[in-house]
Amino acid sequence: MTQNVFTLEISGLNVSSHSGTRVLDNISLQVEPGEVRALVGESGAGKSMIGRAVLGTLPPILDKSSGHIILNGKDLSLLSERKRREWVAHNAALIPQDPLSALNPVRRVGAQIITPLVRIHSWSKREAEDRCLSLLDQVKIRDPKRVLKSYPHELSGGMRQRILIAAAFANRPPLIVADEPTTALDVTVQKEILKIVRLLQEDTGTAVLFVTHDMGVVAQVSQTLTVLFGGRVLEDSKTHDVFTRDASHPYTQALIRSTPDYHSAGGKFVPVPDNVIATLHAQMRERLS
Amino acid sequence: MIIRSFLARFFSTLVTLFGVAVVVFVLVRIAPGNPIAMMLPPGATEEDVARLRALYGFDKTLIEQFFVWLGNVIYGDFGTSITMRLPVSELVLQRLPATLELSIMALVIALVLGGSLAVFGARFRGRAQEVGVDISTGAALSVPDFLWGLLLILAFGVAWPVLHISGRVDPHMDVDLTTNFYFFEGLLLGDFALVSSVLSHMLMPALALGLPLAAMIAQLLKQSLKEQLDQDYVNLARVRGHGETHVILSEALRNAALPTLTLIGVQFAFLIGGTVIVERLFAYEGLGNMAIDAVINRDLPLIQGIVLLFAVLFIAINLTVDLTYSLLNPKLRHD
Ligand SMILES: Nc1ncnc2c1ncn2[C@@H]1O[C@H](COP(=O)(O)OP(=O)(O)OP(=O)(O)O)[C@@H](O)[C@H]1O
Ligand SMILES: [Mg+2]
Repeated sequence: MTQNVFTLEISGLNVSSHSGTRVLDNISLQVEPGEVRALVGESGAGKSMIGRAVLGTLPPILDKSSGHIILNGKDLSLLSERKRREWVAHNAALIPQDPLSALNPVRRVGAQIITPLVRIHSWSKREAEDRCLSLLDQVKIRDPKRVLKSYPHELSGGMRQRILIAAAFANRPPLIVADEPTTALDVTVQKEILKIVRLLQEDTGTAVLFVTHDMGVVAQVSQTLTVLFGGRVLEDSKTHDVFTRDASHPYTQALIRSTPDYHSAGGKFVPVPDNVIATLHAQMRERLS
Repeated sequence: MIIRSFLARFFSTLVTLFGVAVVVFVLVRIAPGNPIAMMLPPGATEEDVARLRALYGFDKTLIEQFFVWLGNVIYGDFGTSITMRLPVSELVLQRLPATLELSIMALVIALVLGGSLAVFGARFRGRAQEVGVDISTGAALSVPDFLWGLLLILAFGVAWPVLHISGRVDPHMDVDLTTNFYFFEGLLLGDFALVSSVLSHMLMPALALGLPLAAMIAQLLKQSLKEQLDQDYVNLARVRGHGETHVILSEALRNAALPTLTLIGVQFAFLIGGTVIVERLFAYEGLGNMAIDAVINRDLPLIQGIVLLFAVLFIAINLTVDLTYSLLNPKLRHD
């Protein structure tokens, strides 16, 4: 295997439907080992689609794609369908957005998080169970043994999300895609969950592609960020720079100012100005025509 | 909790059965036609008629007749068939296995065929294969069971005669079994000559009954599968390296089966109702065929016995569906 500096390297990625609608347009981005990269942008910008393209779970009607996705040293577009699935299963995991629909309602929690470890990573049942128990403990789930025997509907949303996070980190994959893992939860739980993700991330050294539309979350979890608009990359920089310098793209600045947390000292909330949005839409129309 | 819901169920079942008994009894009596007149040879005297009426209890009032009949039914005595002069319970139980085997075969065909079509259509959703499933199930649904029977007879009885179009088993075959479940007992005993003869008689009526249900199952199950396939838990399974077919069969199917199960419960009851005509069409010696004869001959005790048995079957089906439903759905298991 060639030694590659990036855990994930996307270059020139296009995704469109067979009717020709383009949802991702020439996307390029890299994630280094152990790096947390935030993907931000308004609803419909294509954040989730990037994650789904990497993981191979694009909706069937978005069947046209080109470009390269190199995951942990292998170009996914060069692999057969089967080999690609296996490679992704070994090298990446997903923390989904909605914990309520992310566990199969008719199967016990334990079976859902232990079986993949045994099947994909050929751990022994004992080993997998021990690892899950200690991880559940780490994500602050009380009585993990009972939880493993429960059905999803017996657990709260926050608990389910913690279980899903533990499951994603269980085999220490090089990359985790976290698609708005806190959006479906209420604010107090959100803080907890973010803390847990950061804790496990530092503990395992896993790189994370963190999808969010909340600049407050970006500031808390990420080292780098990619700003998307209309399926295109608007800006790609260090999180620290974006929050301290004024040199970034006006849309990014506007996103920062529109975060309730940002001006909490001054108590002033500024939505993204209409003229910034208007300019971007005009550019997008130009591009499409 | 479980005991209470069981008791509630038991009593509602009793009430249902009582209701069915009343309705059957009344309907059968107000229907035109005189069974006694049909039994007697021409030239019978008034006394003969009166004697027979007394013998079958027709000289009492309706209410009296009902309670006499109900009292006997509770002790398992359904009266004597007017035309066949044999106890109704004996006649009915003798025919029941044939109808049960036919209905179960039809149900299995519907489940296997409908289920596979649904999985196939969902696997290739949005593509030509799914359109193919939609068109064929739409067509299958628009043809009722007896018409399917005629079409099948034309195809496999006339044009390409590979199956038998009438009866339940080869008449030359001497059947020596303890029960009337020819198919199941034959299978158990390993009597494959018998089993294949039974199959070649049963296949067409079972297909006629099962095809419309198969189409219904295919449509509903495919729709619910497609809904499940957009859920995050399915995506998670995909990320864990499972192919689409595996994801459908081992993750989505059980969840998608729940709404379909309710449909199957209702439709299977209809299917058993459908045996009346289809059995007639194929001269299949089951309950349905017997029911038509009983109606034609105004054989009141026999009609009552058959209808009551159908009612019990319907209730049993509902119970089975509810049990399966709570087995498949952990949310219902504890409360
Ligand atoms: N199942 C789908 N089929 C076809 N197009 C889709 C589908 N899901 C999303 N899209 C399109 O892809 C584009 C990007 O969607 P995506 O889900 O990546 O947005 P997002 O940035 O994640 O937004 P959100 O914050 O709402 O999750 C959108 O314009 C949307 O219309
Ligand atoms: Mg999204």
